[in-house]
Amino acid sequence: MFVPHSELDLKKMFDELKINSLDDLFTHIPDALLLENGLDLPESLSELESIDYFDDIAARNKSELVCFAGGGHYDVYLPQTVKSLTMRPEFMTSYTPYQAEISQGILQVLFEFQSLVCDLTDMELANASLYDGATSIAEAISVAINKTKRDKVVISSGLNPNSKEVINTLIDRNKFNLDYVDLDNFLFPTNFEFDESQAAFVVSYPHYEGSCQDLTALVERAKEKGLVTICYVDPSMLGVLTTPGQMGFDIMIAEGQSLGSPLSFGGPTVGWFATKKEFARLVPGRLIGESRDKDGNKSYVMTLRAREQDIRREKASSNICTNQTLNAIGSAIHLSWLGPEGIFEMGYHAIQKANYMRKQLIKNGYVIPNDDSSLREFLLEVKSDAAEVIQKMGDKGFLAGILYDDKHILVAVTEKRKKIEIDNYIESLMEVDNG
Amino acid sequence: MVSGGNASSLPLVGGKPEPTIKELSSPGRRASKFPKLDVPEVKINHESLKKEKARLPEVSEHDLVMHYSRLAHRNFAVDLGFYPLGSCTMKYNPRFADSIASDSRFANMHPSMPEEFTQGCLKVYYEIGNYLCEITGMDDASFQPPAGASGELTGLLIIKKYLEVNNMNHKTEIIVPDSAHGTNPASARMAGFTVVEVETDSRGMVNIEKLKEIVNDNTAGLMLTNPNTGGLFEEEILTISQIIHNAGGLLYYDGANLNAIVGASRPGDMGFDIVHSNLHKTFATPHGGGGPGSGPVAVKSFLREFLPGPIAENKDRKYNWYHPENSIGRMHGYHGNFLVTLRALVYMKLLGKEGLDKLGAYAVLNARYLSSKVSQIIPLAYDEPCMHEFVASVRDLKKSHKIKAYDVGKALLDKGFHSPTIYFPLIVEEALMFEPTETQSKETLDDLAENLKLIVDDLQKDDTVLEDYPKNLPVGRPNELIPAKYLTVNWGDFELLEITE
Repeated sequence: MFVPHSELDLKKMFDELKINSLDDLFTHIPDALLLENGLDLPESLSELESIDYFDDIAARNKSELVCFAGGGHYDVYLPQTVKSLTMRPEFMTSYTPYQAEISQGILQVLFEFQSLVCDLTDMELANASLYDGATSIAEAISVAINKTKRDKVVISSGLNPNSKEVINTLIDRNKFNLDYVDLDNFLFPTNFEFDESQAAFVVSYPHYEGSCQDLTALVERAKEKGLVTICYVDPSMLGVLTTPGQMGFDIMIAEGQSLGSPLSFGGPTVGWFATKKEFARLVPGRLIGESRDKDGNKSYVMTLRAREQDIRREKASSNICTNQTLNAIGSAIHLSWLGPEGIFEMGYHAIQKANYMRKQLIKNGYVIPNDDSSLREFLLEVKSDAAEVIQKMGDKGFLAGILYDDKHILVAVTEKRKKIEIDNYIESLMEVDNG
Repeated sequence: MVSGGNASSLPLVGGKPEPTIKELSSPGRRASKFPKLDVPEVKINHESLKKEKARLPEVSEHDLVMHYSRLAHRNFAVDLGFYPLGSCTMKYNPRFADSIASDSRFANMHPSMPEEFTQGCLKVYYEIGNYLCEITGMDDASFQPPAGASGELTGLLIIKKYLEVNNMNHKTEIIVPDSAHGTNPASARMAGFTVVEVETDSRGMVNIEKLKEIVNDNTAGLMLTNPNTGGLFEEEILTISQIIHNAGGLLYYDGANLNAIVGASRPGDMGFDIVHSNLHKTFATPHGGGGPGSGPVAVKSFLREFLPGPIAENKDRKYNWYHPENSIGRMHGYHGNFLVTLRALVYMKLLGKEGLDKLGAYAVLNARYLSSKVSQIIPLAYDEPCMHEFVASVRDLKKSHKIKAYDVGKALLDKGFHSPTIYFPLIVEEALMFEPTETQSKETLDDLAENLKLIVDDLQKDDTVLEDYPKNLPVGRPNELIPAKYLTVNWGDFELLEITE
């Protein structure tokens, strides 16, 4: 399928190669390694048959649930404009823009992505994307270790547990000491003592449980001891929140799904990475720069290539090659669609609606342990087993949130949730949670 | 001067440069609209809230659509023309897979849902796992790695953990051919191994005698593509496998070149213990201008418990997540690039046994045919039958006429083709690496060869014009030194430069 050759084409090609059949192409491969009867797989389906096949699979997903889950991935409204433009075949079916003259489209959108990320977060230099939020944290830690040559890392425990697992996989714990610091009443302890053996201070903003704090003073104290300060941010809230740059962070990383990508069961989404120019030569992944051609025309080109694996091989700043370009394009277009007012409303509506939901829950006898410090995401203490509550809420048409522990559910509210959905959620919750 | 959405660039290729979205911005414009706030608005005091608005462009929706559409027009793609980029497998990406991947019942799934709510997604992973294991001759697969390089790192971390569990920590050396992709040594270093290079022999294959000299008790494993990066099948692969295994090492298959052998031969039968595949190459998912990809790792059963989890399994007619016991841990925040994996399954279903059995053969046929044509214009690097790609070298033309691989690539752009991969593999001087893939017609292959001949003939007549290519595109060769020296990586950086200089 998708092979264009007719019998006549094949004959002409075989003649050119002086062979009689496709099998003759493989006479130099040892017989023992050739498959005799081909693969043991089902026969091919037409498009029409495939529609039925995938319809059956899709129907097994409870995709209709009203989503109150977050944890880094948020059910925000993704405008059709963003979806349509991102799916343009010139973007979708092109390769990495190594040939700049025929890749100015991708190069310019990526340059705009880098610039938009810098403007939104108040940083100086962003790369052209990493795999996702979790792997970006690990890449940022590697930068800090390379920069400081120190072997301890201070990491806030208020990170998505999956992200912690990824960090533990990617940072060699035989060589480096990962010190996870517990939150104190859902906030990073403001009296934490940094010292000169530590390479990095990694903290989520807001914290995984949804609480948020001004980190300026902590950042300042960490930098006094020479640590590289790393902020993992929810970028869709930066229309209302103080930015990582304003708080003085050296590196900003983010899970960029909520800006430009559908939830996608977690992937493909996009990791954002931005920093200060002094870190430029330690940055992982691709960077696009603005230049001119010999006639003075504005042109864009991949730059600081000497950091990358295809040139530097084992001395590269990272092994990343294929990244998440198309999702980065989605982020750029979504940010441009939102504008300053749109991204403000996106964040402002989310925190107003989350606030309403918390107050209604409390009014109905529920406990929100981090009511004071949370914004769009918070912990809900349930009366019966939390996993069971999530199951039963599924029958009522809701994805109640993310299982946090046996008593708590992590609930997220986006600008997309309606008052009626929140009211019905609480009504259903009171029906199913009667432990 | 451009402002307020009045771009002066021409809609089709050429004309003036396209302004940035920031230059198109005009205060007060917006594309976005949200529903009115439907909960009672209250004053929220929180120390993290700011007063000022974010610095983002202000554009109308039509201006935004025109801007990004004009940029799309300035980009070459598989859907526009021939992309014979070696090692990248730029084949046709079936449209049908787009429609399945856009189905909200897949695209709108939150990754933190319990198993019972996500039976469809789990089935996708389970089904494609079976396909991939059959195609590669392996037993179990994990779809966590979001790209090939991540798959490589996964494989190496599996080797490391396997050695740890079996008290073989002294094995710290990974052998990599001198022709390998840059990601191989980069991944090996990231996993904490020392990289040892093995030479390629004059035929273009792993030098067996040199390999025997290098292998010792410290050998942890060998990373290899087969066919290798020269496009040649490593005919001594069974001997190589024996040498590595006798030393207690493991054999890692870099799946970058898997397209050559699908349906014909399997890494598992060659002795490989670990295989990563690039779904965005072999299984026709779109490259997206550089990503997303998907780099699943498949292993022989003795390595199953080391895989990154969770892995989809099927028990009592229900799908569930299985967590391998000695797992190296997660390689991705959730389940890897799910929608890419889904597209690859769509492709496998459409091809089925009939299509997949012949996939490698047709890819090789096209490359062998094109190599026959190209060899009449530019000498090939190796005098061996190629698989799905081949390497030519303009080393002699450089001596006689100053023609470099770079120039040939740039001249091809003018003729409407993407350049082949140039200067790779590193061991071939002035290399041009062609990979036509199985979806291009004979006429297209002939056309490329004819144009290549025109270019070489022209350049031989007058090599003073070499650096003028390409001439017919929106921009010529960008000056690569400016951004590297002045870090013009953010809008405004370049203008600042002009002011200060």
